[in-house]
Amino acid sequence: MSIPTVAEKLAALKVTTASDYERACADALPRGAYEIAVQRTADILDEGYEIFMRSSRSSMGVAGDSIVAMFNAAGDLVNASAGTYLHAVIPPIVIKYIIAKYSDNPGIEDGDIFYTNDALYGGIHNPDQVAITPVFFDGKLVAWTAALSHTTETGAKEPGGMPVSATSRFEEGMNLPPMKIGRDFRINNDIIELFRAFGIRAEANVTVDLKARCTTADRVRLRIVEMCKREGVDFVTGLFRRMLDEAEAGARKRLTSWPDGTYRCVTFSDAAGNLRGLIRNCCMTVTKRGDGMVIDFTGTSPENLSSYNAHPQAVVGHLANYIYEYVFHDLPISSATFAPIDFVFPEASCLSPTARAATSNAVMICSGAMSAVANCISRARFPTYEWQQATASMGNGGNATVIAGLSQWQQPFADMIAYPINTEGQGARSCCDGMDAYGFPWCAFGRAPDVESIENEFPMIIPFSQHWPDSGGHGRFRGGCGTAQFWAAHHVPALYFMAIADNSTIQTPQPIFGGYAPPTVPGLSLKGTRVSELFGHLDNDTLDFQSLVEGRFGELATEPFGRVTRPINGDETVTIGLSTGGAGFGDPLERDYDSIERDLVKGLCSAWSAEHVYHVVWDAERRRIDREASDAARHEARRARIARGRAFDAFEAEWSTRKPPEDILGLYGSWPDAQPLAPAFRP
Amino acid sequence: MSSLLHVGDRLDLDLETERWVCGKCSQDLGNARDNVKRGLLVAERDPAEVHPPLIAGEFTFSPNPQWVRILEFYCPGCGLQVETEYLPPGHPITNTTELDLDAIKARLAAGELVLDDGHLRPAGEEQR
Repeated sequence: MSIPTVAEKLAALKVTTASDYERACADALPRGAYEIAVQRTADILDEGYEIFMRSSRSSMGVAGDSIVAMFNAAGDLVNASAGTYLHAVIPPIVIKYIIAKYSDNPGIEDGDIFYTNDALYGGIHNPDQVAITPVFFDGKLVAWTAALSHTTETGAKEPGGMPVSATSRFEEGMNLPPMKIGRDFRINNDIIELFRAFGIRAEANVTVDLKARCTTADRVRLRIVEMCKREGVDFVTGLFRRMLDEAEAGARKRLTSWPDGTYRCVTFSDAAGNLRGLIRNCCMTVTKRGDGMVIDFTGTSPENLSSYNAHPQAVVGHLANYIYEYVFHDLPISSATFAPIDFVFPEASCLSPTARAATSNAVMICSGAMSAVANCISRARFPTYEWQQATASMGNGGNATVIAGLSQWQQPFADMIAYPINTEGQGARSCCDGMDAYGFPWCAFGRAPDVESIENEFPMIIPFSQHWPDSGGHGRFRGGCGTAQFWAAHHVPALYFMAIADNSTIQTPQPIFGGYAPPTVPGLSLKGTRVSELFGHLDNDTLDFQSLVEGRFGELATEPFGRVTRPINGDETVTIGLSTGGAGFGDPLERDYDSIERDLVKGLCSAWSAEHVYHVVWDAERRRIDREASDAARHEARRARIARGRAFDAFEAEWSTRKPPEDILGLYGSWPDAQPLAPAFRP
Repeated sequence: MSSLLHVGDRLDLDLETERWVCGKCSQDLGNARDNVKRGLLVAERDPAEVHPPLIAGEFTFSPNPQWVRILEFYCPGCGLQVETEYLPPGHPITNTTELDLDAIKARLAAGELVLDDGHLRPAGEEQR
């Protein structure tokens, strides 16, 4: 077996040492030419990204949940265009593996196309797939290119590529280690057939996305070859090395400006696949010293017998989502920006499981790491002149839903509904609220499709799309609101449905500086309602989130948001699609009246929360806050806090004797330190 | 010149006295080399007091109080809510921020960092 070890994978994230030749090429770059050429790399990658979206077939590809990247000859990531930063840091693991293992057999030639989707070898999870092409000029390997995206079908035990019921990797469908899938700039036909076979449920998505990756990687390859012709190989070699140098210097400079210290956050979740139980899905300690930092996950719960596990590099990829969006937003997407960051992963944890583990829902278990890194880094940055970049965590709900079957166009399909995941609320910012329906924490630049596009593509009708009130965590600045969409099966006798998320019993993100987390999110549907009949009763009412939860259109069925695959008959509710809001920032009693008033008028904050959380007096008739009465109410609320608050030591002495019910600790590990109690056995 | 460093939204650290200080009422909150939460009042809240159930059943939009509680940390002087933490009952309370005061003070003394309007700024960089 030559599966790379955790240590090998983490080592591959580091930039290779420059050769004398590379150093000489970098030093010889003409003044001014470097800056122009850096922009040229960005233009090439943006062109590739545009081609990628236009060539892809699956919802995630069309939404732009992808990245296009270029690397130096050693496999170090030089720059990328996103899409999603999820894939920003980790492709070098695969390229360096190919160089180390395949240079002799099967060899690395001009026109080759390599491919992988196996997280054991360096990916996120198997729906995320990458095409990689070497770039040759005058017979010499000068660079690599890659195109990565998510295709929602892998031939797993459930449709949609992220089976919540999988217990080992053997139930997750296609897992391809790095392999050569094409020569002479063509994909091998036997490989396309392999993809068809695994993609029977959604053949068009699987094979078209495969070709889109290869097309995109090749376009970037072509542009680098053109650059070599125009500027010379020495120039391109020097350019790439200097870009790495500058990116690392920029990252180290930023880290240096933060105060040295230790920052901690713990987060929890309530399910692993269809197993319910408390999980400490991230126990993060960030130690920042000088120009570097160590992110340590010691204390995270053990691996579990579900698909909610993530291999370590997948966790690093999830950290990149936040770090590139908020911390290194003005630096190139590059191996070098992560060079100052080291990682510690506890063995046999859900963030570093053994080889047989199912990891197709790595994105769910990593929601804790995404939330914790926002919290820790914001604490490190708030004391600095970059304090306005400190934020509360995104909601990181990732409330993904999959539908599958035969469409109204008689085409087999299995795809994820892109709207809810791309409309989560942003975490509150240190100077303003989080943006409502800002986007997808896993893919900052992903696009939510229009309702008409969804209805045209899939056999569903969608009567409403809206923000839902109080979905953003409360605070001086509140988290952005998430969205609600009603989905009903339409045009077809039946379809299959499944959903991937947790956060129905407890929420994962921790708020910051006195704010609150967003609420939990249940799985909802209308019991036994024929939707076409429901439309006949709308004369005197409005079908929206509020009317549904008030029961005005029938009894709601509630269950955990994550649900294994089930059939839904035509004309019945598929579910109420809910995206989460972001976490809150600061004491809600410090929130200004104008903002609360505006939220009340817009329906983003409920009258209940105005009274009980923000402690304002709302005149519903005049649609105004009574400021004088509110001042008094807040004064009283602060007095009540002091009255009920206890001294820390006395509180902790009593608190530490308590424990959650035993029946919810089966996934947690030992209490409270979350150490494995037994090995995870998988056949 | 003020020696207050803004560490949280309404939480300061006096670099001269090495004390945590409330950013709203200036209440002394304890030794800055210790967990700031030790100088705050603590209250345990049922999550339904902040996230009310919207529907009947087991999954209601409100966190399950057997699984998680909200700990609120208040300034004893003015009742400001300085921190919150969502924890399972009995889970250790997190010390979220341990600043290396010696390193910060050494860098300020060396002129490498400047304390500007409560925030650390590298010398030569402009305030953002």
